Amino acid sequence: MSLKDVLMPFTAWGNLFKEPVTVKDSRNVEAAPRYRGFHVNDVDTCIGCGTCEEICQNAAIDLVEVAGRDAKEGDSGLRPMIDYGRCCWCALCVDVCTTRSLGMSNEYKWVSSDPEDFRFVPGVDEKSWNDNNKGYFKMDGYDLYSTERVEMGELHPEERDKSFVEMIQGFSKEQAQKEADRCVACGICTATCPAHMGIPQYIEAIRNDDLEEGLRILYETNPLPEICGRICTHKCETVCSLNHKGDPLSIRWLKRYIADQIPESKYKEILETENITKNGKKVAIVGAGPAGLSAAHYLALMGYEVKIFEVQEAPGGMTRYGIPEYRLPYEMIDKDVDYIKSLGVEFQFGTRVGVDVPLETLEKEFDAVFAGTGLHLGRSTRVPGSDHKRVYQAIDLLRDVSYGKEIDLAEKVVVVGGGNVAMDITRTIARLQNKKFGKVNVTATCLEAEGSMPADDEEVIEAREENATIDPGWGPQEIIVENGEIKGLKVAKCLRIFDDEGRFNPSMDMENQKVFEADMIVESIGQAMDISYTDNIKEKLTFGPRGRIQVSPDFQSNIPWLFIGGDIIQGPDVIHGIANGHKAAKGIDKFLKSK
Amino acid sequence: MKDIVERIKVKFPVAAVTFQRKDLTFITVEKKHGVEAVTYLRDVEGFTHLVILTAVDWLEEGEFQLTYLLNNPQAKQDMGVRVRIDRENAEMQTAHHLWPALVTYEQELNEMFGISFPGSPRQGVPFILDESWQGPPPYRRDFDTKQYSEDTYFPRPGRTKIDPAEHMKKKLYPEAE
Repeated sequence: MSLKDVLMPFTAWGNLFKEPVTVKDSRNVEAAPRYRGFHVNDVDTCIGCGTCEEICQNAAIDLVEVAGRDAKEGDSGLRPMIDYGRCCWCALCVDVCTTRSLGMSNEYKWVSSDPEDFRFVPGVDEKSWNDNNKGYFKMDGYDLYSTERVEMGELHPEERDKSFVEMIQGFSKEQAQKEADRCVACGICTATCPAHMGIPQYIEAIRNDDLEEGLRILYETNPLPEICGRICTHKCETVCSLNHKGDPLSIRWLKRYIADQIPESKYKEILETENITKNGKKVAIVGAGPAGLSAAHYLALMGYEVKIFEVQEAPGGMTRYGIPEYRLPYEMIDKDVDYIKSLGVEFQFGTRVGVDVPLETLEKEFDAVFAGTGLHLGRSTRVPGSDHKRVYQAIDLLRDVSYGKEIDLAEKVVVVGGGNVAMDITRTIARLQNKKFGKVNVTATCLEAEGSMPADDEEVIEAREENATIDPGWGPQEIIVENGEIKGLKVAKCLRIFDDEGRFNPSMDMENQKVFEADMIVESIGQAMDISYTDNIKEKLTFGPRGRIQVSPDFQSNIPWLFIGGDIIQGPDVIHGIANGHKAAKGIDKFLKSK
Repeated sequence: MKDIVERIKVKFPVAAVTFQRKDLTFITVEKKHGVEAVTYLRDVEGFTHLVILTAVDWLEEGEFQLTYLLNNPQAKQDMGVRVRIDRENAEMQTAHHLWPALVTYEQELNEMFGISFPGSPRQGVPFILDESWQGPPPYRRDFDTKQYSEDTYFPRPGRTKIDPAEHMKKKLYPEAE
């Protein structure tokens, strides 16, 4: 050790009598590019799912309301506020962020004498580092949960295109739990589900392998879980927070998993519906579709004596007579309905209200009536030739197939329409052609261009896998008939569907026309309702846009004893029907209790 | 490094060997041979430098795994000696007589994992946690960080939290029960 080393420490004593100097930021050195500094948040991308709050091990984050941001579908409107008295900069909040909106700037210097300043909403409160885009952001390929769905087993196209066997095979326990594990339990989906199902709750039940609890949660808001678990339009999945940077959760298949695992014979015990006290009041339901079944279920639980009048020979409505068996096997409809039957709900099939039984009779014999009669009349394109006998309505053909009737099938078929019903009939015809002729020749065409067809994407993809041709973006002009035989459908390129006012008013490029060859045409451009059973009381009802009967939020019409719901009021889809039926049941209960 | 492992095996049983890289090998030995193994490696095989002593909590298996990472500066090789000890009664012989730095490592593991090294000089002396620390050893995997935060630190006045799903219900469909 040299003498200098020994004396060095004493040189500091030279500063003993100098004025102290405080420099707030003496060096102004920028932190490393990936330094974890103060938080930033892209508040337009953030959906307020609260997963950052949930994971924070120091309880440093609160979701709070911020000015100018309201709750809407897929966004709670809340944004995270961080308490820097607690934050330890571990960055779990950044790693878990479902939208990648939350990050950390590399700014680490901040002086304020007010401790309250250190609690702020990143991205909302003005901070000098808001535009700093260095710092810590989630790395690619580093995720706290899988961004990919657990793959669902499906029959291969060659296995399925001759048969009506169910395509989707369902999850095993391992698959279901792995998929359920991806859920961050934010609950953003619940608001979007028309029935507001307890989605994170039943997914948690799957994680805990408590499927009985899962079933109880399903039945709180949805008495048709086998049906919905297969063919629900799953609006919940489109707003799933995981959808922002990966596959949304397979919510629909998880629901199906719960219902599939429990035999119907155990439902009453699990749902504690073995002893229901009757209240002596009677409700009639018109139509055994999802809305009517849902209303019947909840009314029966409340002690009402319920009788359903149905024109067809079996229950399910459009789910049985509109949806093909390969998507929804009939025994699954029966499972849901058998449980509702076991609650004492009575069914009278083959009875058309308004013809076989007048609505007035129901009014006299029952305390209230719920009508959920659905949309069962096909709409025609009304182009020249559409009155030919070989021009069919998709909905009529689907019903015939459900009844097991033979269809007078042609070798070349064109389907007009691009919705899910059009895909259902296209894929049904493909299967029937394959069985009968050994080859498929069916083409579906619609006004909407590729990518904006109203049908679910998977329906279009699967139809093509089954060798159907989907050629969208054409408007039908004429059905060409020669010597009494259909030769084809003449179409013109569709330029746009809606006019400047947003009204349906398609315009075509008449220079760009072609003919789809066909011996048979199926129209599937939408359905209409038949509410002739209300003819005698029509003047007492109020009608809104598109001829829909106006009802209260409880689905009560202007005639107090008559409640109406389902596709003829809202939708069309199963889950709206179920939600309507549930609300109407509560409405009927309220109405009858106040009478 | 295979020959080193072969020579160790002659001295005492080796439960597992991982040749991680050309210059990095891990061996697992029984607890009773742990100190013996590092002594042998230091004095006979030239692993004179202690890189680190650390622990892993194998909660589900009810064990802690200690790793003594040693370095041979001449051969530029690393050898990790792993020892599994019972989690319930977490105790290991001290080796601080071999490297003075082990006093600090053993003090740290004592505080953060609750592993005791009887005879090591600073056992029970606070290391990085202060005297006010009330909780269990925080590096144990069953330590609930969030619960500890909530129990120990007072909430700042004026804090409110809103559940996103409940908030959406209130704003978007208040009619639901």
